[in-house]
Amino acid sequence: MAERTPERLVRLLGLVAYLDRHPGAPVEQVAEQFGVSPVQVLKDVDTLWMSGTPGYFPDDLIDFDADSLDSGVLRLTQSRGMARALRLGTREAVALVAALRALDASVGEALEPAERRLLASTLEALTAATGEAAATVDVRLSLEADPEVLATVRAALRDGRRLHLRYVDAADRTTEREVDPWQVVTGDERSYLSAWCHTSGGERLFRLDRILAAGVQDEAVTTTPAPVATTYRPASQHPRVRLSLEGRARWAAEQLPTERVVDDPDGFTMDLRVATSAWLRALVLRLAPFVRDVQPDEVARDAGRAAARALAVYRSLGLVRDDA
Amino acid sequence: MSESLPAAERLLNLVIALVNTTGKMTKEQIRTSVAGYDRAPSTEAFERMFERDKETLRELGVPVVTVTGAAHADEQGYRVDPDAYELPPMQLSAAQLGILALAAEFWSDQVLQVDASRALTKLRVVGARPPEGEQLLGLAPRVHPAGPALGPLLDAAAARQAVRFTYRAASTGEVRDRTVEPWRLLASRGGWYLVGLDRGRGAPRVFRLSRIVGSVTSVGDKNAFAVPPDADARALLDSAQEAEARTAWLGVAPERAGALRARARPSTESPPTAPEGWDVLAVPYTRASDLADEIAAYTDAVVVLDPPELRESVVRRLREAVAMARRLGVTTDG
Repeated sequence: MAERTPERLVRLLGLVAYLDRHPGAPVEQVAEQFGVSPVQVLKDVDTLWMSGTPGYFPDDLIDFDADSLDSGVLRLTQSRGMARALRLGTREAVALVAALRALDASVGEALEPAERRLLASTLEALTAATGEAAATVDVRLSLEADPEVLATVRAALRDGRRLHLRYVDAADRTTEREVDPWQVVTGDERSYLSAWCHTSGGERLFRLDRILAAGVQDEAVTTTPAPVATTYRPASQHPRVRLSLEGRARWAAEQLPTERVVDDPDGFTMDLRVATSAWLRALVLRLAPFVRDVQPDEVARDAGRAAARALAVYRSLGLVRDDA
Repeated sequence: MSESLPAAERLLNLVIALVNTTGKMTKEQIRTSVAGYDRAPSTEAFERMFERDKETLRELGVPVVTVTGAAHADEQGYRVDPDAYELPPMQLSAAQLGILALAAEFWSDQVLQVDASRALTKLRVVGARPPEGEQLLGLAPRVHPAGPALGPLLDAAAARQAVRFTYRAASTGEVRDRTVEPWRLLASRGGWYLVGLDRGRGAPRVFRLSRIVGSVTSVGDKNAFAVPPDADARALLDSAQEAEARTAWLGVAPERAGALRARARPSTESPPTAPEGWDVLAVPYTRASDLADEIAAYTDAVVVLDPPELRESVVRRLREAVAMARRLGVTTDG
């Protein structure tokens, strides 16, 4: 996908200001600093080289030392007054400051003292530069985990040790597992531990509030994280389910990892890969009033039967009348 | 100069021109001399292009100021204020830049994610090298998306401008237009909220963004209100959420519903009676519909003993599931 105009413009301006501060920086260093490829840096330099003040004669243009460039080093010889670093826009400041404040307020307690000082100093530097604009947003993260479990998980992460977990999953099974902890993913609603599970031989996300107990083991961690896994993605070997729903259940298509969504005048049909039948049953129970069709129909039968059994329990307790 | 100079390059040349101008540049000067504008096919096309570019630059934090001529009022021109352009003096260590990179990953909302990553690009200029990752060992904070209302509300809150939107009330389901002075946006317990003065009621109110129907429009002037100094948005939200805080008494089959067991709290009240051999749990909750979804999913392993409203929500879900199975012609017998 092509880069958006504002992002490219901000980097072009940033490159001039950075190179003014770091004369003779190698192309690779600049690329690393800005998180782009060296090829992109060279493209940016080509653009800067042709930009300047009206007239656009050689003296009007931003200029680089050609010999340095030949040896892979960037040396600015003319910045055309663009050596200043650009301040942050209001929303830009809000986005970063609010994130840092949320981190400090909600996970600060769980941090090592040195980490917490670093977080505080970053927040201070940024607030000094942006003023009070950021007061318009306030985020509170939820780290609803047993403090003891969280401390144990953090210790294992810090020391690179394996963890023993007692965990209750969405299908309501309590299991004992050996895992390599990779990362704690903290959300505003729930928090997860992403890990390699030796017991099941796969990458897993464990909800922190479902870890009943955790213990650091002697074995060192032997696996490394795949690129950030923050959402649950069922794999292609899992069975496919087709749900046809009324338009009012649109949120389902937006929030679930669908393979395919086809709209029609009254609603839509979506395909999902489903790893556990308990999860699927919960989903179908939630969507029941909007369901037009389910394939395979065993899914609807399972949900209907389970619901009928539950209603029978309520009736046997005299908690509902038999008038449905 | 090619016919179709990419927009980023046109904007770059505009910034350089406006930073370097002595005094100001008129629109005519910009059109005839700044690279990328000279090929605009008509005056209207140029005007549109320039107005859009000016707006883009201001959003990016480039202070484009309008300068009115001393002698002729129509001799309006533009320049960039170099002092307002500059980031206040700051130096970021490699570790601080690492923390900021983590913070920029925070938003899964498109709007704020773009803003945060652009802010990071600007701060890389004053950051030591090389930027260090993994500063807060193993922590990856994420906030879930707020939806399309967040962007306009943020802009309006920053500009102190009132907004109008259609809102579905939680208690009654009633849908009404609201005009609100937006004070603060808060994310908490899986929801995004706006706290502000509801002009129709003349009192502060808490609005959940997911209950806003349709689009948010700004109304009236900027800087139209001040947030009262004693306004405590967080406290307003807390009390709105606490007003909803309850305890559910659940009967749970032996060995089942471990996740609910993990959230159960000891209670001083005496529990209602449960089926023979089942456990009784006191589980705190705020969002009844979420808990009803969760309990219904356990079907015959969990029954709601109290409160009756929660039980009715669960029973309604179970009946809907039975009705669905009938509707689809699959039997639920046996």
